[in-house]
Amino acid sequence: MALAIRKSTFSVLATARCIVPREFRSLSSLPETNEDVAQDVAKRSTGRRIRFQNPALEYRHVYPEFLPDPNPKWRNTLREKMERADMLKRRSQIDIPEFYVGSILAVVISDPHAQGKTNRFVGICIERKGCGLRAEFTLRNVVDHQGVEIRYDLYDPTIQSIQIIRLEKRLDDKLFYLRDALPEYSTFSFDMDPEILPEGTPVPVNPVQVKLKPKPWLERWERQELKGVANIEEHLKENDRVRRELRKTPWEKYDLMKQYRKTIPAEDQNEIWGEVHNQLNQLKLSRKKMFKKRPVTTPKTQLA
Amino acid sequence: MLIKLLNGGEEVTIQSMFRSFINKLCFNNLSCGFHTSASLNEVQLLTRLRVVDNSEIGKRAMAEGKPPKVICVYNKKRIGYIGDRVMVAIKGQKKKGILVGLKQTQKVKVPKFDSNNIVLIDDNGTPLGTRIHVPIPTILRTILKERTHAKGADYTKLLAIATKFV
Amino acid sequence: MATSNMKILCSTLSRLRVDYIPIRQNAFYKPPKYRPPHWFVPKERVMSEDFLTQENRDFIEEIIQDKRNSQIALESPLAHADQQTIEWNPFTRRVGLIARKIGNYPLWSKEGKKYQTTLLQVVDNHVIKYVPPEQFNPMKTTKVQWKEKKTLGCLLVGSETVDPSTVTKEYSGIFNSVGMLPKRHLFRFMVSPHAALPTGTPLFATHFRVGDHIDVRAKTMDRGFQGVMKRWGFSGMPASHGVTKTHRRPGNIGGGGEKARVWPGTKMPGHMGNRWRTLRGVKILRINTKYNILWTLGVAIPGETGAVCYLYDTILPLKKLKTAPPFPTHPASDDLPLEYYDESIHPFEGETILFDEV
Repeated sequence: MALAIRKSTFSVLATARCIVPREFRSLSSLPETNEDVAQDVAKRSTGRRIRFQNPALEYRHVYPEFLPDPNPKWRNTLREKMERADMLKRRSQIDIPEFYVGSILAVVISDPHAQGKTNRFVGICIERKGCGLRAEFTLRNVVDHQGVEIRYDLYDPTIQSIQIIRLEKRLDDKLFYLRDALPEYSTFSFDMDPEILPEGTPVPVNPVQVKLKPKPWLERWERQELKGVANIEEHLKENDRVRRELRKTPWEKYDLMKQYRKTIPAEDQNEIWGEVHNQLNQLKLSRKKMFKKRPVTTPKTQLA
Repeated sequence: MLIKLLNGGEEVTIQSMFRSFINKLCFNNLSCGFHTSASLNEVQLLTRLRVVDNSEIGKRAMAEGKPPKVICVYNKKRIGYIGDRVMVAIKGQKKKGILVGLKQTQKVKVPKFDSNNIVLIDDNGTPLGTRIHVPIPTILRTILKERTHAKGADYTKLLAIATKFV
Repeated sequence: MATSNMKILCSTLSRLRVDYIPIRQNAFYKPPKYRPPHWFVPKERVMSEDFLTQENRDFIEEIIQDKRNSQIALESPLAHADQQTIEWNPFTRRVGLIARKIGNYPLWSKEGKKYQTTLLQVVDNHVIKYVPPEQFNPMKTTKVQWKEKKTLGCLLVGSETVDPSTVTKEYSGIFNSVGMLPKRHLFRFMVSPHAALPTGTPLFATHFRVGDHIDVRAKTMDRGFQGVMKRWGFSGMPASHGVTKTHRRPGNIGGGGEKARVWPGTKMPGHMGNRWRTLRGVKILRINTKYNILWTLGVAIPGETGAVCYLYDTILPLKKLKTAPPFPTHPASDDLPLEYYDESIHPFEGETILFDEV
């Protein structure tokens, strides 16, 4: 169902693709020229690896939880170091793959309450938050016409596996509006087959725009400048539009200090990534080897 | 205007008209008429719930668009959490039920639902319906087992009619 | 009768002596209350321009570096001392540690439960001096009766070596007299005489064991002058319904009639935070021996990140030490495991937790 909608709306927002990389720039205070240069290099030579020569540029999106909380009251180099070491120890035990808000994941946890002592849940990631060992992500799905959301700790030792079913990004950083959208946008069957992207392709951005149910809504979506919502104007009254104009804060994009306070400076990031870069790469390589070595079994055709 | 309204036969008292007039004059009141803090979505007195089993009374109440209201939460805090017993007013009757899914933000690994779900039970803990048509959190197994005592009500019968656990 | 007469006679005669100096008797006279201990000297120095040449500056730098190196090379006196056979008993008081609070992060138990922990780093702790109980003469205060004066000695412990040129001469002199470099924090611990340690003994995080309970003393976060709602949790008054100008005020502070005054101890606005508080019975869940970090259960340790705390063995009767801890302290050794985990804690390098079906 969801796939069909995605295809129909694909043509509507083909232009959205070029907007997205600009979005992620606001996440970091790294100079933008760096990225432009990197993109130029990517144009000249194909392949993803060359595009990200500076590990900071690659990793700050792939492993955002390695960056500490930018609040100076909570910073401490030694604690961050210990935290990163613990995260790497956990990552050596279980493969925590690269995923983004909008990707579809399947999580298996060992659950003392469940019957088989394991519990599997499939859903779309609608939020990623927290730094270090506190990193969390939320999965959402509609099961039997009932919306269900489950929050997981990324480094929880009871998580047995995190499997990527579909690796993609969406147009927004947080997809809470799926709660107010029509249920087919967040319905995913539990036996979906994982889609494997060919090596070296960039993570695709899914330009689907969801349709919201009529009001009442959980939040005032019209004020949040969402890109992934199609029919927000239909449900608005004149008063809502007036108030949206009143509440706008167009000056905030010029507030450099605010951006600086929300991000880790480039020098600090280089230090952090320099520390974990080697180990993360080794883990990735060993995983790849294991993946190739795994026994190949032809899946049995299911009659049902 | 007053005469017009009275002629129309509407039962609008002068007092309520005056209040609405004041509301229109006072601009501040417009912007402060709603909550600005995030809601907790707690289950408390007079919360509307959704019956998710196929009991006759529950089905009819939901179909008529008159979902049950909480009239008592059986715990010390009087705020319902997952697995708590509540008394509801449903179609003019008093029934007991168990909360099997909450809108509220839950702990890690406990599912959060889009509606506050309830399964109707009788005094012995036997469900009124024969099937639950939405998923049930697995943590209910442990909670309901703890609540069940040898001589009291047996709430674990509810788990037997569940179709799916998440 | 005869003796009292003799006393009166003696006193009158003694007044006639040549070397008699009258001492004024005053019932209201009290000796000065505040008599700080001898190590309590001003620490901060007013920095001034010394007009040194570059050569001299380099020379001073070199000397400081030498001293620092010799300090690092200093061997623990415990290594050479022959093994003392003094046994620990439950009434012994051991020395504590000076630590820094460096943040919080979660650990998971083997049942998959998440625990928030506070990290305390024990930075460069050394024993400075031991004052035996006979010589220890604490400050007199009217409030506290110093009962343990005769039985407990006083052990000075310093942490975080600093550049000697940044502190005053007097402060530096305390350390110089025992051959140490000055420390940023100097604190006294009351210890049993047989738990005393020689000067220069380094103290490590392994002084405590995993699973033990400690008391943590630190200064709470400074919140400045606060009203009663924040300071004492008063409810304030309604926002509307005719209430004017008294939304966050305390209301009535005393009754009339017989007791027409404000009683002492009434909760009022004032300075909040920045006072010493002790959190008792904190469990140690994990210890890192390389960086000397303790992971303690809970997030209620007073002070912000970077605050200095003092760690003691707990005095709570049910959480007291039951078996002998490292006594008098854990000696320096290189062959320790990097990490100690409590048996309830799941190490991060451990396998994924699986639950068995019953």
